[in-house]
Amino acid sequence: MAAKVETTPWTKPAGKPIAGKPVPRPGRSAGVQSYLPEIVKGLGLTMSHFFRNTKQMMLGQRPDAVLESIAEGVTTIMYPEEKRPYPARFRGIHRLTLRDDGSPRCVACLCCSTACPAQCISIEPAEYPEGDLRRGYERYPGTFVIDELRCVFCGFCVEACPCDAIRMDTGNHPVPYDSREQFIYRKDLLMSFAGRDGSKQTENPRHEPGDPTHPGISRDHIH
Amino acid sequence: MTSVIAVLAIVKILIMIGFLLSMAAVATWGERRQAALVQDRVGPNRAVIYLPSLVVQGIVITPPALFATIAGFTAWRYVNVVTAPESALTGLQLSIFVGWLSALVLCFVVRKKGAANGLDRLVAGWTPRSIFVTGLVLHVLGFVAVAAVPAPSLLIAARVTNGLLAAVFAFVGVYAGSKVPEGKVGIRLAGLLHAIADTVKMIWKEDFIPPRGDKLLHSLAPILAVFPVLVTCAVIPFGRSLCFGDPNRNGVFDWPDLLAVAPAMGSKFQCPGGHSVHLQIADLNVGVLYIFAMAGTGVIGAALAGWASDNKWSLLGGLRAASQMVSYEVAMGLSLIGLMIIYGSVQLGPMVEWQSTHAWGIFVQPFGFVLFLTALIAETKRVPFDQPEGESEIVAGYFVEYSGLKWGMFMTGEYVELITSSVLLVTLFFGGYSLPFLQNDGVRVAFGSSVLFAYKMNHVAVVVISALAFFGKVIVTGFFQIFIRWTVPRFRYDQLMKLGWTRLLPLALGNMLVTALVVLAVQGHADAENGLAFLGDVTQALVAIGMVAAVLAIFFGLVEPAKRQRLMLSTAQKFAAVTGGVRVTPRQA
Repeated sequence: MAAKVETTPWTKPAGKPIAGKPVPRPGRSAGVQSYLPEIVKGLGLTMSHFFRNTKQMMLGQRPDAVLESIAEGVTTIMYPEEKRPYPARFRGIHRLTLRDDGSPRCVACLCCSTACPAQCISIEPAEYPEGDLRRGYERYPGTFVIDELRCVFCGFCVEACPCDAIRMDTGNHPVPYDSREQFIYRKDLLMSFAGRDGSKQTENPRHEPGDPTHPGISRDHIH
Repeated sequence: MTSVIAVLAIVKILIMIGFLLSMAAVATWGERRQAALVQDRVGPNRAVIYLPSLVVQGIVITPPALFATIAGFTAWRYVNVVTAPESALTGLQLSIFVGWLSALVLCFVVRKKGAANGLDRLVAGWTPRSIFVTGLVLHVLGFVAVAAVPAPSLLIAARVTNGLLAAVFAFVGVYAGSKVPEGKVGIRLAGLLHAIADTVKMIWKEDFIPPRGDKLLHSLAPILAVFPVLVTCAVIPFGRSLCFGDPNRNGVFDWPDLLAVAPAMGSKFQCPGGHSVHLQIADLNVGVLYIFAMAGTGVIGAALAGWASDNKWSLLGGLRAASQMVSYEVAMGLSLIGLMIIYGSVQLGPMVEWQSTHAWGIFVQPFGFVLFLTALIAETKRVPFDQPEGESEIVAGYFVEYSGLKWGMFMTGEYVELITSSVLLVTLFFGGYSLPFLQNDGVRVAFGSSVLFAYKMNHVAVVVISALAFFGKVIVTGFFQIFIRWTVPRFRYDQLMKLGWTRLLPLALGNMLVTALVVLAVQGHADAENGLAFLGDVTQALVAIGMVAAVLAIFFGLVEPAKRQRLMLSTAQKFAAVTGGVRVTPRQA
């Protein structure tokens, strides 16, 4: 005994055939079987399309298939020459922001490389030289390397950075290269990028040791 | 062989190769452009060269300036009593033609882009159709006017009309140059630059050879695919024979003889005491058989490419290509036997000669034409017979493992094949270089023995017109062959084999038998032969009327006065219009 099927609007009603519009099968007449008249009919159809569209194009009723496919108001853009505007929060290639004196803001705390899910950031911290006010107070990155092929552009490094030292606001894609080595971005390259506003610094102020705005916490007197 | 003959042979080869290669590029472009217009989509539009305005102006002005100089020199120096009537007529008709065509183009441009000065507004005020009709009326009036000029003043008339032609060319050139916008101008040539850009790209792309493939054969295959297609055209006559005189009577064809072209020709081609030059690279006595032999060689390229690639798909593709081409070669050869019986020759020159004096091949062998066209498309591996390629089955078939210029050579070979097959169709079925009623000595409209109209023409003019007619016919036939691609869906592979062996082959044999029987029955009966000759003249008249009607219909259709309104075509376009366009300036990023 067949189980009773519940009827929904999407199932076939029990016992009732679905009514549809009968579509006649094309007959096997001599014209169809010999294939040629049908080809001629088809050629007539494509040619009528072609000549009608050509005429409309020449009369200016229809956009030119070539020239006006690049006119204003058409969604297609000519990519390398013109680019679609990215949203303000687009995560592009990384940059290392600079201080006023041109050194990196980065203090080599390793927060970003720790936060990085792709483990594409590699930092070797170094101490500032003897006599520098910052020595003993903070470090700087001796090497700062990002493998742009490993990077997943999640932006966690930017979130993790306590000093606003790494940002992804350049608005650029990673450029295509022909070898893997070229995707290894080093410190000097990362420092050479500017943000979208053209500045290599950030708008967040930095309070260097010795500045009047500096909270005055220095480890000089501790040692 | 003198140096002149060698140089002429090289020139003929260059003309043919240049035509084939440039037309292959044009066909690549034409196919995409035609598809865009048939299927309502965007055509090839990306390739562009930005040139400074001054350079573009130079490019625009140079050709008209050159023509104006030639016309001016003709008016000044090269008009004599013998050539005066024709020179006067040609100059007048050409200046009328250039005049109305430029006015038409200007009218379209101004209507699209807006008028800049008084002349623009004047021309835009005319309807395109009225410009075309005025041009036609002026052409007729020009004939009447030149005929009305008395013989003594023809020399002055020739100078005046050629001067007029020079002035028209100069004005058109300068005016077109002044229309070039300021600054950098993007040159797209209606998308034609795409083919060139593709070529440049293919040259610089990496050339990959499968590590376990056969390196020698893999590199040899594309050459073997292109070579036979190019050499097929060696036996094709692309114009009437030229006759050079021998003024220094040394019996040798040397350089001064080149200037001594025979001024006029009888109804039959005769060159007594002179040197005749056939516009044909090689006049082989095996003619069509040579073409079949060369087309048969094309199989090797495809099969080798499939074998040497060390890839199952390419091997399958190569096998498919080889078996398809071999099968259809049989039907192709047999479908032409009827034609050879009727023409009584396998040489291409006599074949075209027969067609120009009797009737075009398509009228005497319509069924053979259909069979030959089918076999030819299968032979060139184009849609609907493109089973050697198939994305869903064997990827790209025998050239799966090819990249860069080698792949480009296969593609070029395919498109040259398209042009070569058009050349074959034109030579065998569409009268080759002959135009209806254009004989060796000029236009003569005759039915049987009654001549209705005769007009003597210069020998060189007839030869040039015949060569232009040949190349024009090839272009139109190629255009038509591309249409077949957008119309007919492809076959399954077993259907293709079945069509070749169980349909085309018996039909070709039957066509051959019936033709032979009819020829045997008609031969020797004077009445029947006269009747057929008259019918042949009727077909020539039909072709002439058809050609004129087609040209008129195209012009009348394209210049039809219509309300100007823009159609919003794509959904994306409509969406963009509603949201005020997607483009933001200045561009970010």
